[in-house]
Amino acid sequence: MSSREPRFSLNKEDVRLGATCFAGALLLAVMTGPAGTPEQPLGAAKQAIFSSHVFGFLVFGALLASLSVFRRKVRMGEWHSRRETPRRSMRSVLGMRLATMGASWWLLAFVIAVLIALLLADYTGPYVANKFSVAQLMGQFHNTRTYGYIVFVLWIVNSWRLRFSTREHRVHLPAFVKSVWFRVVASALAGFGFALCADPWLPERFSFSYFTFSGPSTHAFLSHLPTWLWSLGGLFLGARAVLADRKTSTKTNRLRARQFGVSTNTRFALYGVALFVAFEAPKFMSPFWQLAIFQQIGIFCFLAIGLNIVVGFAGLLDLGYVAFYALGAYVCAYFSGALPIHPPFILSPFLSIPFAILVCMLSGVLLGLPTLRLRGDYLAIVTLGFGEIIYVLATNLQSVTGGANGTGIIPSFTMNVPGIHFALNGQALSGDLNFYYLLLVIMIPVLLLFTSLNNSRVGRSWAAIREDEVAAASLGISGLKYKVMAFAIGASTSGVAGVLISVKSGVLFPSNFALQVSITVLVLVIFGGMGSITGVLIGSAVIGWILQFLLFHSFIDYQDADKYMYIGAMLILAMIFRPQGLWPSKRREREFHDAEGGLGSADAMSAPSDGSAA
Amino acid sequence: MTNDLIFDVANVTLRFGGVTSLSGVNLQHRRGEILAVIGPNGAGKTSLFNSLTGVYSPQEGSITFNSASGASTSVIGVPPHKVARLGIGRTFQASRLFNALSTFENIKVGVEARQKTGPIGAMLTLPRTRREEQHSDEKALELLEFVGLAHRLNTPADSLPYGDRRRLEIARALGTNPEVLLLDEPAAGTNPSEKLQLAELIRKIAREKAVSVLLIEHDMRLVMSLAERLYVLNFGSVIAEGTPDEIRSNNKVIDAYLGSSDAGSALGSSDA
Ligand SMILES: Nc1ncnc2c1ncn2[C@@H]1O[C@H](COP(=O)(O)OP(=O)(O)OP(=O)(O)O)[C@@H](O)[C@H]1O
Ligand SMILES: [Mg+2]
Repeated sequence: MSSREPRFSLNKEDVRLGATCFAGALLLAVMTGPAGTPEQPLGAAKQAIFSSHVFGFLVFGALLASLSVFRRKVRMGEWHSRRETPRRSMRSVLGMRLATMGASWWLLAFVIAVLIALLLADYTGPYVANKFSVAQLMGQFHNTRTYGYIVFVLWIVNSWRLRFSTREHRVHLPAFVKSVWFRVVASALAGFGFALCADPWLPERFSFSYFTFSGPSTHAFLSHLPTWLWSLGGLFLGARAVLADRKTSTKTNRLRARQFGVSTNTRFALYGVALFVAFEAPKFMSPFWQLAIFQQIGIFCFLAIGLNIVVGFAGLLDLGYVAFYALGAYVCAYFSGALPIHPPFILSPFLSIPFAILVCMLSGVLLGLPTLRLRGDYLAIVTLGFGEIIYVLATNLQSVTGGANGTGIIPSFTMNVPGIHFALNGQALSGDLNFYYLLLVIMIPVLLLFTSLNNSRVGRSWAAIREDEVAAASLGISGLKYKVMAFAIGASTSGVAGVLISVKSGVLFPSNFALQVSITVLVLVIFGGMGSITGVLIGSAVIGWILQFLLFHSFIDYQDADKYMYIGAMLILAMIFRPQGLWPSKRREREFHDAEGGLGSADAMSAPSDGSAA
Repeated sequence: MTNDLIFDVANVTLRFGGVTSLSGVNLQHRRGEILAVIGPNGAGKTSLFNSLTGVYSPQEGSITFNSASGASTSVIGVPPHKVARLGIGRTFQASRLFNALSTFENIKVGVEARQKTGPIGAMLTLPRTRREEQHSDEKALELLEFVGLAHRLNTPADSLPYGDRRRLEIARALGTNPEVLLLDEPAAGTNPSEKLQLAELIRKIAREKAVSVLLIEHDMRLVMSLAERLYVLNFGSVIAEGTPDEIRSNNKVIDAYLGSSDAGSALGSSDA
């Protein structure tokens, strides 16, 4: 047995990885802690650090750290003896043959699941001072959400087990489990379970009236909109899983499925969890954060996703991205009648979104056609110039834009067509969350669209052009066409963000659209990992969160104007410790390693090599 | 009516400032033929390929590409991606794969270069997109099997051994359904057994896929056994043209190669 045991030695990389996870957990703990007061900005942090709340996160951090170090070791192949594959060594590390485990395995898994579920339930619950104390944890048994989490964790543990078991030992499920109807119904029930977990109305949970339509509408589970939404979501996931399964029956699709690390179903389950958190978590936040997740984090996520198409997918350096943001905002202002020049017809901001997309797309194409023939550095300078031109025009063309004094008032989002009557501020939730949910509703389809774009012929062509434009041309791919395409798509995304922010701020000032915004969004993309949608989202969220956190607790007299200093510092740190970004795409990461090994050029900013090298 | 010359190169002269890479080159490539271009280093072989594929624009002369459909197109001045779409596939002297993409994806890029799905279709995954993707998957798999790389399906291109890289580049070019395939030193840097496999592959391409092949190669034994006809370039002009036997006994060619270090053996006559 001893020969099978892994040598336990940590190198610098492992320590770095572990420390990062741990520090992240600590940060999370402080950030989710109680709010500070103006008189005692640091008191809150102190209180947070010494509350039991923090220990839960520390345990979480330690677990996360050891897990990621462990995974890294196995991946790097450091942890397996000569004859064993990494997969086998995983089993020997756990000290048992998981695949053949029977009842004892399930008992262990169940205990783990219960513990994790308790932690999760406490974590996602409303803030209390003695979080993660034993009493508080035990109290979680009173919440339905805990049982939801138990099922969820068991399911994850089980899929994990299946992944690492050998093919012969795979559990054969009874036939009915594989039937379409079983899956769809089960997923709908799972969605229902999620709704139950997420329902903030705790006191009534175990009363009978909770599950009926009667009684005060806020108390009845079935009359909550989220209940239906989550159940529908579950239904959709189930249907999707069945369809995906059908698809994998063709040979090529099976082959393709192997290219992703996880199975389609797991991926979709993870999306479901992300969606769940995105929709439910904000309800527990303080008003400060409810505003911040739209205005300082959400919008920048959206901008970064758009710029990611240009920088990450197509590999073009665009320093004038803010110009399209401004264009979208001013188009919205124009059609709302908030500018000195008057439109032929007044449109509600909702209806001005298509116009903003159109204008930005057109200007993207017009700017792109002549400039995208240029090599990287020249393109950067031209786009920089374009950004400045728009900025100067917005400032100086007083008769058109209202100049530095700003525009008139831009009305809020309303919808007044037969059948749908909707006004954003008339809804039950507080005003800031409305914008957040609107952004979410716009962003989720955009994310899906962009993901399938990246996995399509178009995305592969972008990768090809980025890597070697000469080779791509030799196959018949027009570099210019795809670059202009990326430019236009990025621009229109930015335009939509512009409409949102113009409505949110109500009045536009040219100073909102300075060069720094372009740079910030570029940093977000680089920090998160160029070319990876998930990475860019994570990167923007992390940076946005840190900045808002500093502001919230007014650490070291932090003010909003200081943020560029911190952004710069974070970029430098990222370049030293993780130059490929927090969560790089696989393609980009490989390009990066190629570049380090001198095989190609991963630098999005450098010129593609020309034909003379052929 | 289809012209039986797939490439007709007449009097092509290409200059870079004071350097003349090609001077008055004439070359006829018959449809379905494996034709080779040989010559010492710096003779202008790659320049000729780049002129045929639109990368360089020769100052004088004409290059006509006759497609099987009967259309004749002048290639000079046409951008490379449009030339490629005429049905001209090529590989490069130093292999230029998309290194971060997998073997499978590299070929798919080639296949998909001929498809029509635009950004909207790709975003919404319309039925046509799905059909095209299915097609490119199948085609890519078939090509992987054709060149013998099916076991390397998910390997990133940058971690392939040299011989496999060469074959992948050929498969990628084949993905575009070319009528003619231009191979720039496909055997450079490969070992003898890989060379044999490669020669077999090139013959198979010409025979089974009915693709005309234009080949640059320094390995004389390989090229003499493979090519039906050869052109010999030296200092940018054609000094000889003919079947392998004719070339072996051509005095001008022997002189040109005597100028370089590996004279007779380079022509493969010593081992005969
Ligand atoms: N882009 C360019 N600019 C300037 N000179 C060039 C260029 N491309 C080729 N040449 C010149 O043209 C001549 C022929 O070069 P070419 O690359 O075609 O030779 P080759 O026959 O392919 O040689 P090798 O066997 O080494 O590949 C050389 O003298 C080279 O310097
Ligand atoms: Mg050459």
